[in-house]
Amino acid sequence: MSATRRLVYTLGAIWLVLAVIGSFVIAILPFPPGAASNVAGSVTDTIRLLTWAAWPVFSLTIIGVIGAVLVRRSDPDAAAAPARELRGNPRLASTWIGVVGAVVLALAIVGTITLGNDDAAQALGLGGRTISGDNGNVIGGALDEGGYLPVQVIAQQWQFTYRYPTLGGFESAHLVLPNNTNVQFHITSLDVTHSFWLIALGVKGDAVPLHDNVFLATTQQLGTYRSVCGELCGLWHGAMDDNSMQVVSAGDFDTWVAQEKVLDAPIMKYLPPYSTTYVPDPAAYGS
Amino acid sequence: MTTMAVARQPRPLSQVLAQWGIVLGIVGAFIGFVVGAQIGEHLVPADANSTGSNAALIIGYVGSAIGFLAGMGFFNYPIARLMGRPRPTEWDEAFLYGEEGGWKRYFRLNVDHKAVGMQYLVTIIAFLMLGGLGAMFIRAELLQPEPSFASAESYLTVVGLHSVIMIFMASAAIIGPLGNYFVPIMIGSRSMAFPRLEALTFWLLPPAALILLSSIFLGGFPTGWTGYAPLADEAVRGMDGYLVAFTLVGISISLSGLNMIATVLTRRAPGLRMTQIPIFVWSVFVTSVLGLLAPPVLLAVLVMEMLDRIGHATFFVPAGGGTPYLWENLFWVFGHPEVYIFILPAFGVMLEMLPVFARKPLWGYRVAVGGMVGVGVLSWFVWQHHLFVSGIAPSLRPFYMFSTEAISIPTSIVYLVAIGTLWKCRARFTVPMLFIMGFLFNFLIGGFTGVFLSDVPSDFALHASYFVQAHFHYTIMGAEVFGLVGAITFYLPRMTGHVLNERLGKIQFWWMFISFNGTFLSLLALGILGMPRRVVTYDPGLQGLNVSASLFAFALGGSMLFFLFILVKDTIVTPVRARVVNVWDSLGNEWRLPSPIPIHNFTTPPTDWALPYDYDRDDHRTAVPGGGMALPEGVTE
Repeated sequence: MSATRRLVYTLGAIWLVLAVIGSFVIAILPFPPGAASNVAGSVTDTIRLLTWAAWPVFSLTIIGVIGAVLVRRSDPDAAAAPARELRGNPRLASTWIGVVGAVVLALAIVGTITLGNDDAAQALGLGGRTISGDNGNVIGGALDEGGYLPVQVIAQQWQFTYRYPTLGGFESAHLVLPNNTNVQFHITSLDVTHSFWLIALGVKGDAVPLHDNVFLATTQQLGTYRSVCGELCGLWHGAMDDNSMQVVSAGDFDTWVAQEKVLDAPIMKYLPPYSTTYVPDPAAYGS
Repeated sequence: MTTMAVARQPRPLSQVLAQWGIVLGIVGAFIGFVVGAQIGEHLVPADANSTGSNAALIIGYVGSAIGFLAGMGFFNYPIARLMGRPRPTEWDEAFLYGEEGGWKRYFRLNVDHKAVGMQYLVTIIAFLMLGGLGAMFIRAELLQPEPSFASAESYLTVVGLHSVIMIFMASAAIIGPLGNYFVPIMIGSRSMAFPRLEALTFWLLPPAALILLSSIFLGGFPTGWTGYAPLADEAVRGMDGYLVAFTLVGISISLSGLNMIATVLTRRAPGLRMTQIPIFVWSVFVTSVLGLLAPPVLLAVLVMEMLDRIGHATFFVPAGGGTPYLWENLFWVFGHPEVYIFILPAFGVMLEMLPVFARKPLWGYRVAVGGMVGVGVLSWFVWQHHLFVSGIAPSLRPFYMFSTEAISIPTSIVYLVAIGTLWKCRARFTVPMLFIMGFLFNFLIGGFTGVFLSDVPSDFALHASYFVQAHFHYTIMGAEVFGLVGAITFYLPRMTGHVLNERLGKIQFWWMFISFNGTFLSLLALGILGMPRRVVTYDPGLQGLNVSASLFAFALGGSMLFFLFILVKDTIVTPVRARVVNVWDSLGNEWRLPSPIPIHNFTTPPTDWALPYDYDRDDHRTAVPGGGMALPEGVTE
């Protein structure tokens, strides 16, 4: 066996070991955001899947570079080397492009299925979801036809407030959601562009003035979570965070709603009627 | 000091004035500012509830830039030609090309492409250090989860300045110094196609940087480099500095693109085919096509924002009938080709240096060119991956996911070519070679993290987090700036005749490489854990990783200062002169010229053109006896 071949086999074996160990590690690593909602679950699965797909290719490329440097010319006279080793090998290049292209296509197909088709996504065990720009449907009853609890997220410099249109339209400074519920977030803004980001629930959608951005997620775990602003919105962008966002049991949620209604009763008459968007104050703009 | 060959008879006033280039420029800038501010104040007076007129400031800034260029003498030639005055004399031409030598020629209008390259080099390094200072400030502040020594306002101002000054730096980091200096030489041309335009692209940068920095005194700007409206509409007057400065840089990138395209297409030496130009020239060419076409979109959107701020045009204000999506889309139509404007010249210079140290021909020249053209074409079809969570129609997302992932196909070709070139090579691990290796490692992480951001489901978790920030620092700093430092080490002997210390350079590389990866691996982890970008307050639970990122970042800052130290020591304090012209034993045509390179490069350009990578040919060994290239006749060390 030639020295070159031996080196290639050795590096190949090292790569195989790295890839196998890496795959096991990636399978058990606790990737964020977790499983607090169906969306978080599928986001976690996607990140795990991508990491799992990326690691072997990443390590192979690194080993490829190291190997190429380590492999010595057996013959000191470079001129004796075949041209395909020196100036390019169209067949190798097209194979490379084909393989990378196939990987890319596979990733795109998996991503598209995850995204686009709720049924197919459910069949794969992944939650479907949608962010729709033009969803302005009026919601009636405690839950609409799809069985969703609508929650309006209103962003302004520098806080989020939350309205529950089907529960009397009261507004709260804290977000509380019942567990095992399909939630329909309606995200909008009163001034500049913000982004509502519930880290553990995998929810993220830009809050744009005069725009109703809808995000669907199903809560799955009781707990206290963190929400932040994801789009630079001025001075206290970083302070638009809240560590007290809660997912509670249905009974606790009803109790909380009742409390909030009592608290909000004196100010309800000052709140504008519920709407998917609110007209910002034009005086806030310009010089 | 001046050794002019041309006789010095009593000179007209214009010639006397021309020698005071930058001083007249500064005077012109002040006059221009005052005039512009008066016009602006007159057109749109300040509102009762604001600190001053935006129109006065914006038009004043524009006036100062025009006044600066007028003082520098950029308008003398076109106006003289329009008025039918006599053509420039021999003295004018010699002066314009800086034939008298000395340091003063760098501080006035100089159309020698090598002088412009040197001007760019110094300016780019200054921008890099200035932007790095901002990064140190940011990392020092983020040692604590609450604002400590900086107010939220000054923090946000520094975030904005760091990002914009670094974007200015990155737009020209390699194409500015090395493209201007070496492209004409590599293609056997005596100059660029439009030498005055070339000088203009450089001289737009200093006013842009000063206008940007002046925003510090006007409250800064709160938007970072992306300038999202309507936040920009309600911002204080510092925002105007961002708008005008970015406009000037956009014009500079676009004109530079135009000039480079014209130069490569029309100024190649007789017999030099496009399939024979060095790979670096190809990368500059593809970059220039992007550079010509992308910034006009930026200019449009910046002017719209200026009109919003001056006259309540409400292009981006929903209450006035506009929409923030207009800014987001138009900005990223420019913004994504822009990041390939950063990285493509780095690919090119990396592949240009690789064969020199691998001592092998460049493997797959044509496929490398194809890869770069592919990146250039695809870069126009990916911009909405910045907007996956913005509320765009869901049906658009699969296309942008696929196009973004597809760009990894041409990008991966760079790795194929690098591995092919390294295969069975006898590598010399000099400082530039180490930086090539660092480039390959860092950009690989940059590329793979990009896949996570292109995939819509995972982007839901990672968008707007430190993961994004670490991703683009891996590509821009990890690849472009590593490529830049390596390329400076490589090309400095050719540009100035100085050789940087090898041992210190190797220390500097490892210092920079380890601290860079320490910093940005910490930030990748922070992003996955959900830390948003551009925040001054963050989850106290994330303080450990932030402290780790900050300490590595300080080490990284130290490594950049160490590079500056090596550079200053070996070129100015105790200059180390190269003993031979061709210190790296390269076959590149740029190394065949005497040192220093004559003003007009060639009397007659070479005719024996071939790809300069034939390190396997026998005659190359005889052409380069004993490791150093034979000096051209009449040139001594």
